[in-house]
This record gives sequence, C-alpha cells and structure tokens, in this order.
Amino acid sequence: MRCGNGIEARQVNELFINIDPIQAGGRLTADAMKAVIAYGDGYSVCDNCRKPNRLDYISKPPIAEFHKDVAKWLNMDAVRTVPGARRGFQAVAQTYVNKGDPVLLTTLSHYTEFLAVEEAGGVAREIPANENKLVTPDATAAKIEAVKKESGRAPVLAFIDHVDYQYGNTHDVAGIAKVAHQYDIPVVCNGAYTVGILPVDGKALGVDFVVGSGHKSMAAPAPSGILAATAEREKEVFRTTAIVGDVTNRKFGIKEPEMMGCTLMGATLIGMMASFPHVKERTKHFDRDLANHQTVMEALLSIEGTECLSEYPRKHTMTRVDTTASFDKVAETHKKRGYYLQSALEERGITGVIPGATKVWKFNTYGTTRKQAEHLARSFVEIARGNGLVVTA
Amino acid sequence: MTFQAIYTLTDLRILLRETAPSHEFDANQKVQVQRLLENLERQVGSLKQEMLK
Repeated sequence: MRCGNGIEARQVNELFINIDPIQAGGRLTADAMKAVIAYGDGYSVCDNCRKPNRLDYISKPPIAEFHKDVAKWLNMDAVRTVPGARRGFQAVAQTYVNKGDPVLLTTLSHYTEFLAVEEAGGVAREIPANENKLVTPDATAAKIEAVKKESGRAPVLAFIDHVDYQYGNTHDVAGIAKVAHQYDIPVVCNGAYTVGILPVDGKALGVDFVVGSGHKSMAAPAPSGILAATAEREKEVFRTTAIVGDVTNRKFGIKEPEMMGCTLMGATLIGMMASFPHVKERTKHFDRDLANHQTVMEALLSIEGTECLSEYPRKHTMTRVDTTASFDKVAETHKKRGYYLQSALEERGITGVIPGATKVWKFNTYGTTRKQAEHLARSFVEIARGNGLVVTA
Repeated sequence: MTFQAIYTLTDLRILLRETAPSHEFDANQKVQVQRLLENLERQVGSLKQEMLK
C-alpha cells in the first residue's frame, strides 16, 4: 500500500516487535497519531497566535500551558521546544562558547554535542570514561584541571549524557555537575535517552540545562525536543532579540535569537503535546520496562559466549551486547553469513537489529509488553539452539 | 465524523502494535476490537448519510 508517489505505507511497528536502539521511545501514542492527522498542515498551531506573537505564548491549542507543564515536570524553570535535542545543544553552545574556548564533553558524548561545540568555535575536551564505561566526578575534576593547565582557564561549558547512546549506561550527572560548578562551568544534561523514559529532576541533578529528544524518547514526531533551563540561565540562552534594521528600523519584539524565533509550528509540536500526559505517566512505570528488558537480557546471557558490554544489572532498556563468541561463530559457516541472525529474527516478527550484525550490536526493548518481551527472549534462545549454540538455562 | 472514523482506525492500529507480531488478542482486547469495529461501522454509516445525501 502506498501513501504517496513511491512512498510505501510504513508498517514496521504493526508487523514487528521493533528493538531498534534509537526508535523505541519515539513511537507515537494513539493521541499523538490523532493529533498529527488533525494538525498536519504547515502552520496549523498558529491559527490563534496573538500578540506578543511567539509560539510559547499560544493558548489555543494549549502550547503555553504545555511549556509550563514540561518545565514543572522536569523541575526546571523554563522550557522551549526545539527541532531535536541537537538544536538544544546548539542554542546553549552558541550562547556560552566563543572561538577557542575549551568545552567539556566525554568519550561517550553524542556527535551532535561535538558539532554544536565546533559550530560555536569551541575546542572539544573529553572526560574519559572508566573501564566500566562510566564517566565519574573524579574524572571530571581531573580533566578540568588538565584543561586549566593546558589552556590557562577552565572550560566554559560541559555536556554530560545522562544515559549515553553507546552503552546505555547511567552516569552520575549530579556528582559531575557538582564538580563542574566548583569551577563555575554551566552543565548541560543530555537527556535524549531519559527525558520521557524515566523520571528526570533537573534540580536534583543540579544542572543548568536539561535537553530532551521528542522523537527519541517522548513519543513525538521528528524533529522535536525540549531545552529546559534554570531561572538563572533562562535569561541568557532565551534572551530576546535586540537587532534593528538600519533602513526600516524594524525590531522583532520578543523573538529569541537562539530559537530563531518560533520553533516547532505544526505536527511535531502537537504530537509531542498529545503524547505528553502518557509520557509523564509512563516514566512512573519504568520499572516494568526494566523488568521486561531483564527477561531478554537473561535469555541472551544464557547463550554461551554472549557478553553484556553495558553496565550490569541494567538500569536502562538500551543495551550493547557482544555476540562474537556466540551468534558470530554461527555466521562463519552459515550460508547467509552474518545476515542469518536478522533473517531468523524477522521470521519471528522481530526487527531493529542492524542487518549483518553478529558481533557487537545494540537493542532497546522499551515499550514492549510482557508478552512481547517473552517472545523476544524465547526467540533469541530458539535461534541460538537451532544453530547449535549452547544455552545454559 | 471523518475524524471519528480515522481515530477509531488509529485505535485499532495501536492494538496491532501492542500485539505484534502474532496479533493474538486476549479476552479484553477481543472485546475492545469488537467495540471499535462496531463504532467504525456506525461512523462509516453516518459518513455515507452525510456525504451522499
């Protein structure tokens, strides 16, 4: 079935259990799907835009209220919606980083944090993760001292991933922020894998900014996300325009340069808003998702040779595994080579593992039902047994 | 009425997602599917009346 010229209707999530590591938390809720149908037109949320003409002031649909609700939910003071977490990183970097300024990242930071620093002219300085693939407050302090020694000044900004995209490990953001603040370094918490998945309290983390991804973790269409700030930082990153045209003498009211005026003006915003009550609720039940993930992990680890490369027991539903000594052994002689695993999974209605991957790969079980998690666990074991691997449980 | 029918189909779509890949419904889900399909029939009936009058 097609929904446009050459565009096949996408039924991945209707036909399969999708364990793609980046797609799990962005699947739309029913309300988001309904809202997107009604608000698909370009400027659909702007019908009732009145002075002072800014997105976050619109009350019908309740966009202003949504902004306040998200800030409260994250225990931060101000929120703006942005076209993806990366645009949140960009807004903060553009505010605080000047040419040649050192900026703290980590060896597990997402590439968009690097690009945000690069665009602002900053210099990336990475805090190394330890042997457990965790970034610690001690390593942060050591890196800041090293940067001071190298450049004669402390970094001007720090980006810390709450849960990193490589291992899905949970880092001590509160401890790291405490250290960074001792050097007056503002801290951005990258919550792309946590905001909308599990409870996030910006004040408890002690960070200056929380960035979330709508399409990754808030059941919203892409590109969408949020940038939340403390009252102190709000005035800086959400400052209003001061520019004046020399011929027309035009000014642009309360538009915000870092937001480039209004941000999400249609289906993206309305989808995020429609999902929000469900997203808020689901974060309270993350333990269920973790229990489902544990079921799948136990099945995978029962296959002799399989290793969990992420911290274990798991604190998040996205995990990196090494199956070099299990599934990859089969690939050496299988007629489908490395593609047999994906093929066998798809035969069982499972998708989302990178085609051909049998060595190191990631998956995410977030949002699966109990029954689906059990099906996943059973399928991995069946595939292993069916290909002559030893299963210990 | 157009939205109602589309939204009913959306609810059915969500059920397909929740039960993928087998789409085997438990007792509660069967009741839900039955109710949604009946609603859909009624909504399509109303659309016929409204749009073809």
